[in-house]
Amino acid sequence: MVQYNFKKITVVPNATDFINIILSRTQRQTPTVVHKGYAISRLRQFYMRKVKYTQQNFHDKLSTIIEEFPRLDDIHPFYGDLLHVLYNKDHYKLALGAINTARNQIGKVAKDYVKLLKYGDSLYRCKSLKVAALGRMCTLVKKLSGSLAYLEQIRQHMARLPSIDPNTRTLLICGYPNVGKSSFMNKITRADVDVQPYAFTTKSLFVGHTDYKYLRYQVIDTPGILDRPFEDRNIIEMCSITALAHLRSAVLFFLDISGSCGYSIAQQAALFHSIKSLFMNKPLMIVCNKTDLQPLEGLSEGDMKLVMEMKAEAMKTVIGQGGEATDDEGVLLTMSTLTEDGVMAVKNAACGRLLNQRVEIKMKSKKINDCLNRFHVAIPKPRDQKERPSCIPQAVLEARAQQAAEKEKRKTERDLEDENGGAGVYSASLKKNYILANEEWKEDILPEILDGHNVADFIDPDILMRLEELEREEGMHQVEDDEDFEMDGKDLTPEEQEALAAIRKKKSMLIQQHRVKKSTAESRPTVPRKFDKSREFTAKRMGRQLSSLGLDPSLAIERARSRSRGRKRERSPERGDAMDVDTDESNKKLRLRSRSRSRSMSRPPTEFVPGAGFKDSEQKVKAIKLAKKSVKKRNKNARRGEADRVIPTLKPKHLFSGKRSIGKTDRR
Amino acid sequence: MPQGDYIERHRKLHGYRHDHFERKRKKEAREVHKRSAMAQKALGIKGKLFAKKRYAEKALMKKTLAMHEESSSRRKVDDDVHEGAVPAYLLDRDTTTRAKVLSNTIKQKRKEKAGKWEVPLPKVRPVAEDEMFKVIRTGKRKTKQWKRMVTKATFVGPSFTRKPPKYERFIRPSGLRFNKAHVTHPELKCTFNLEIIGVKKNPNGSMYTSLGVLTKGTIIEVNVSELGLVTPAGKVVWGKYAQVTNNPENDGCVNGVLLV
Repeated sequence: MVQYNFKKITVVPNATDFINIILSRTQRQTPTVVHKGYAISRLRQFYMRKVKYTQQNFHDKLSTIIEEFPRLDDIHPFYGDLLHVLYNKDHYKLALGAINTARNQIGKVAKDYVKLLKYGDSLYRCKSLKVAALGRMCTLVKKLSGSLAYLEQIRQHMARLPSIDPNTRTLLICGYPNVGKSSFMNKITRADVDVQPYAFTTKSLFVGHTDYKYLRYQVIDTPGILDRPFEDRNIIEMCSITALAHLRSAVLFFLDISGSCGYSIAQQAALFHSIKSLFMNKPLMIVCNKTDLQPLEGLSEGDMKLVMEMKAEAMKTVIGQGGEATDDEGVLLTMSTLTEDGVMAVKNAACGRLLNQRVEIKMKSKKINDCLNRFHVAIPKPRDQKERPSCIPQAVLEARAQQAAEKEKRKTERDLEDENGGAGVYSASLKKNYILANEEWKEDILPEILDGHNVADFIDPDILMRLEELEREEGMHQVEDDEDFEMDGKDLTPEEQEALAAIRKKKSMLIQQHRVKKSTAESRPTVPRKFDKSREFTAKRMGRQLSSLGLDPSLAIERARSRSRGRKRERSPERGDAMDVDTDESNKKLRLRSRSRSRSMSRPPTEFVPGAGFKDSEQKVKAIKLAKKSVKKRNKNARRGEADRVIPTLKPKHLFSGKRSIGKTDRR
Repeated sequence: MPQGDYIERHRKLHGYRHDHFERKRKKEAREVHKRSAMAQKALGIKGKLFAKKRYAEKALMKKTLAMHEESSSRRKVDDDVHEGAVPAYLLDRDTTTRAKVLSNTIKQKRKEKAGKWEVPLPKVRPVAEDEMFKVIRTGKRKTKQWKRMVTKATFVGPSFTRKPPKYERFIRPSGLRFNKAHVTHPELKCTFNLEIIGVKKNPNGSMYTSLGVLTKGTIIEVNVSELGLVTPAGKVVWGKYAQVTNNPENDGCVNGVLLV
């Protein structure tokens, strides 16, 4: 279904703006700089480009205008006629024709001048030709100013036209002015149409939508029609006539039986008879409005007769559609929009009749055969008299029954609350579902502060588990020392046992040292031996080790000392003694670390302590990691701290000396 | 659901915003400042165009202001002088007027003898030969230079056929040939697009006249049958002289003035 929506038409600029737009675009989008001394072909090309570009732009813009405005012959005749009534088909076509001509003429101008430009032999000549070409094109567009202004006005009006779908179910409301058409429209749809006591309040068609039996109906409100000869009708009335003529819809002819619209029933009947030719093949309904002022039964004889005549006419349309001749209920209806009495009945009757008519037409048409096979309900013919009801297994039935029972069995907290007095009175006991070792502890009150400490700081759900672990670890250390003697099954002499113990101890010491070294390797700087901070490599140590092996160390010590103490002998006499003490320090440190674990440090560093500033242990771990990461690089570079920016050698030799194998040595 | 007249409907039902009119007034008052800022800031071609438009607006404003102020001031009114009225002390001198007329006719006769005609453009810039012709090199080695191509607009006539290309000395390219001229009638002040019948005289020389070159100042003969002019004898005038008033090769069209 094509939606007739004229909102998508681009704005039509007026002539001067149009020219300005195109010329400024040419000035911006084509090269602007050219000099006298360029080659003549380059000059020609420069100006030809401008002429062609301008022509192209004019062509494009004019083409969009021509294409976007609807062709009155190609759209639905309802819209074609409506646009003709509103804007005059001839003017419209003339305007578009003028634009088309201008477009072609601009093309010709551009072609001629490009041909002339080929003979241009100087910058001045080419430039004058370009100026002449652009000027000619702009003059042609200036002549279009009237057409462009007219089309812009039309476009603005067209965009505000109601989007009526000419092919769907439609109810058309017509009648004299002020009979109550717009009020009815407001009642059955959500359209907010102006209702005023003066005639011709509604000046154009208005559309609303309403539903009936799950289907959408368009309701079209028309301006009032006066009883005049066809030629004398003004544009507003012609709108309604067009709608009546072209839309396949149900027509509701409104009659004001109270005469408060200013026109008598005789006049309204006269109008009815003059436009009844337009009601051909449409389900027609006579609606008597304003019954609150004057009921139908209270009408005079003459008026009643007129109304019955109209009804007879309307009946003809019912018969014409093959409906029963006796069905006269849906033809003449009364209602009052003020009291809303009968409004819905009218709507339903109208919608029902329209639907029936449409369905009938569809059934008669050829297309129905394609649809019929889509909705066929097959009912098998019974071959004997046996009853065959639907079969449901027993288990399913039981399950269903159980589910139904369960739904009522379980008592929710809500039900409890309701029982015990409602929301404000009853407070649920939150502790009743606690899972505790002893049921009696459920109602106990937990203290918050004890001895000046927060109890919460010391609560740890895994405390017992941790205690076990810790004891196990400590126990292990002690056990390890004793274990050495029980490890082999062979008999050893006490000296051998001693030696074995010593060896094992040394080994474990080495292993532990190695482990410490490895774990700190990431953040420990690798420095050459001459800078050893831990003071491991001393002459005294060498002497001890050599003597333990059974060799005489004195010669070696002297040799080493003479080398190391070569120049600085005077300054550092005491270094040797200081070194002795340090050798055992490393061991001390290890021992200290293992023994100094007290209860207060029983928590691993990554454990979450509430109140320390971290959300959970994950965050704490992350923080510790970040801290270590920031220190790692500095430690690796053997910096003492953040501010240590010492460069040991400002001119390292390997960078400032030597020849290069390939390349120059200009820069060092 | 909103219909086509939703704006007016909303205004009818809900009226305007409480500050609508004040805002509108203030916005309009600000427009003046905005315009002046734009005028000062706009650069380049935009600025020039705006300045031109604004200048025209200001000139118009000044005129209307002056017109409004006119009514308050008083001015001297001159009595209309009769054509041919003569002050009292010259009443018996009337020979001078006749003498003038005589000398005019004598001048005209002299001009006719000399071959000078009264034309709107009596003097034009002379066009040199190297400006008029472009040398075309021909031959196997491109050494022969006897051919010339006309670089100005020409008129050749409907029965024109070229000489065999081998022998033609002057080439008149078809792109530069014009058949129609936009001729203005000096008294009616309107322009007609008339066919050229022929080139009568080119002020730059007889050679150019014979070639049919149209430059500024050339006298051409145009077909005026559509103007519907009639001689006093009753015969229909269908050809008249006109003078070319522009440079057709620069403008792409021949503009002229009818010689009445």
